[in-house]
Amino acid sequence: MSSPYERGWVPPQQPASSTPAPGAPAPGPGVPVAAVAGVGPAAAAATPPLPLSPGEPGEPGIVVEHVGRAFGSVHAVVDASMVAPMGRVTGLIGPNGSGKTTLMLMLASLLAPDRGSIRIAGHDPVADPAAVRRLLGWMPDQLGSWATLSARTALTQTGRLYGLHKLQAAHRAAELIHLVDLGELADRPSRVLSRGQKQRLSLARALVHDPAVLLLDEPASGLDPAARVALRRTVRRLADEGRAVLVSSHVLAELDEMADTAVYLERGVTADAARIAATRVSERAWRIRTADLARDSDRLREALFRAGIPWERIEADAGGILVPVAGEARAAELLTRLVGEGIAISAFAPAVGELEHTFLDLSSGGGPA
Amino acid sequence: MIPFVTGVRVIAGLELRQRIRGVAWWVLLGVFGLLALVVTLIVLWGVGGLTDGYRSDPVGNAVFSTIVYFVLLLGTLVAPALSGNAINGDREAGTLATTQVTLVSTTQLVIGKFLASWISTLAFLVITAPLLILSLAIGGTTPGMVAVSLLVLAIELGVIAAIGTGLSGLVRRPLFSVAITYLVVAMLSLGTLISFGLGTLVAQEKYEYRGASYIYDDSTGNSECVVDDTTTTSTRARPDYVWWMLAANPYVVMADAVPTRYGSGDDPNDLFGFLKLTVRQLQKAPEPIEQQDPCNYTSDRYPSGREVIDSTVPSWFVGLAIHLGLAALALFGAVRATRAPAHRLAAGSRIA
Repeated sequence: MSSPYERGWVPPQQPASSTPAPGAPAPGPGVPVAAVAGVGPAAAAATPPLPLSPGEPGEPGIVVEHVGRAFGSVHAVVDASMVAPMGRVTGLIGPNGSGKTTLMLMLASLLAPDRGSIRIAGHDPVADPAAVRRLLGWMPDQLGSWATLSARTALTQTGRLYGLHKLQAAHRAAELIHLVDLGELADRPSRVLSRGQKQRLSLARALVHDPAVLLLDEPASGLDPAARVALRRTVRRLADEGRAVLVSSHVLAELDEMADTAVYLERGVTADAARIAATRVSERAWRIRTADLARDSDRLREALFRAGIPWERIEADAGGILVPVAGEARAAELLTRLVGEGIAISAFAPAVGELEHTFLDLSSGGGPA
Repeated sequence: MIPFVTGVRVIAGLELRQRIRGVAWWVLLGVFGLLALVVTLIVLWGVGGLTDGYRSDPVGNAVFSTIVYFVLLLGTLVAPALSGNAINGDREAGTLATTQVTLVSTTQLVIGKFLASWISTLAFLVITAPLLILSLAIGGTTPGMVAVSLLVLAIELGVIAAIGTGLSGLVRRPLFSVAITYLVVAMLSLGTLISFGLGTLVAQEKYEYRGASYIYDDSTGNSECVVDDTTTTSTRARPDYVWWMLAANPYVVMADAVPTRYGSGDDPNDLFGFLKLTVRQLQKAPEPIEQQDPCNYTSDRYPSGREVIDSTVPSWFVGLAIHLGLAALALFGAVRATRAPAHRLAAGSRIA
């Protein structure tokens, strides 16, 4: 089996309704071809594209219903409802201060909600925190690590706190050090670790007890590109093994690459499915490139015009020709037509990431009441 | 949940390895050991414990009691620093929440941190072991004295460690919880003395007495005692009304609990005994005033230390109970305040 990471970057094997017709050449570097499929790249390979809405089939790892939490007069989370299914990566998206971390803390059994209900794999974190903690791994946004302890000791002791015996804990720590690639740094005090290395240690710590549900709060912040790729790979694999993974971030491009579905949180309120569905068919820019754009530009513009796109709305930027397209179905239709006219399309993808588009569309459509 | 002892042991182990046992702690321990050595040598020189071979009464107990008091003094000064940021320090470092999402319970967490602080404070007693053994070798100590004083010392250090750990869970900022722990130590050690002193000012009584004068009779050549016609009013302190304020003083608890060894003249000859006798004497009501007949006033024989101690009541268990109560209250409060999922949070506090 190829690694999730690799699968994330090869074109989908089974074209879904919106995938481009065969014959589209492989994209140049930097153009996420998988975005053609519309959703997450890996999702395109592993499963048919999913609408970006809560309430997927499959056993729910996290169910949140009308949860609210205030700190004094500050209403951090007002009304959040969401579902994170097992086996999927769910993005939790929102601007800074939208209540992502507060929601994460409530899910992690650290903070009690004022109202509403939370179920982690069927357990209530307020009524039965022990059951929840056994099943839940949490990677906080703030990187707390025991400065003078080595990564190995920290992981072993965390294992002990999850009820592993000494040998089990040591064995598990070794596994995790290998998994997050901390190798030769594992026996140095963790204060010498860089931010990215601490981030990996933090992820390893969240995985000590092999949890069924994972909460990752801004896991990629401070990571270099290589580490991000590795993280994405790890996260995909964790989900493919059947875990529910909830990843919060405000870097949407990053989530685009790993999330199957997404939950939008703004000013403490989650966007409902209907509003998200509406953004699905709203217009957004797609970028089209041909093998030799200078030569093909005029032909391409004419073909687009014939396909019904107003001349004045066909624009160009450094990366290619930009055209407004409403919805995946329309995009597929357009691509089929262009290919049919014999234009050598090398890239055909949304200019704005799926999550970013949805997010911006939701925000511009007026905030929640 | 994981077994109680396992959780406590892992937490205490982490605490000892990570937070307390740094370089600074070893340096502090070394400096303390040196100070204790210097104090011991000075006491030995002062009481002539090594040189005066002719002494019939060995002075090991004087040396021993001095070292124990020294450890109590330094221990109560160090314990707040070692325990006062156990919980909120972890919170600030971001390691508390990651511990709380494991299967360890809040009670295990608090108890583990308390034990770690206690153990690291007891190290200050352990490092003085050679000096204590030296004092035992000199002779003069009794098994009861050694057992009780070391036990009380360990408990008192534990009480401070518990109060510090508890306050670190109750107070948000490490700086304040350490400072408040120091204030508690000061309240018990000095505050009890101050309140006793103020108490004696308040608990004064007025009393009247008649003077007497001797009038020389020229004719007989004898002096005759004549009682004055007028009475004089004066005030005097009544420490026997307020002596109990000293009961919660850790030094008094220690002195009062230790079985006294009497030297020559039935008087104590070590620090435990001196302090015990001093406090016990305060219980004694002043002698009644001979108002009417000062000419026939005769003083009783001055009572010996043993007589004073035997005729007064011990108070150490009251003080110890107060200390243990404070310690239990602090730990209980910390468990309540640190419990997760948290319902109410102090303003400005953070979870992770």
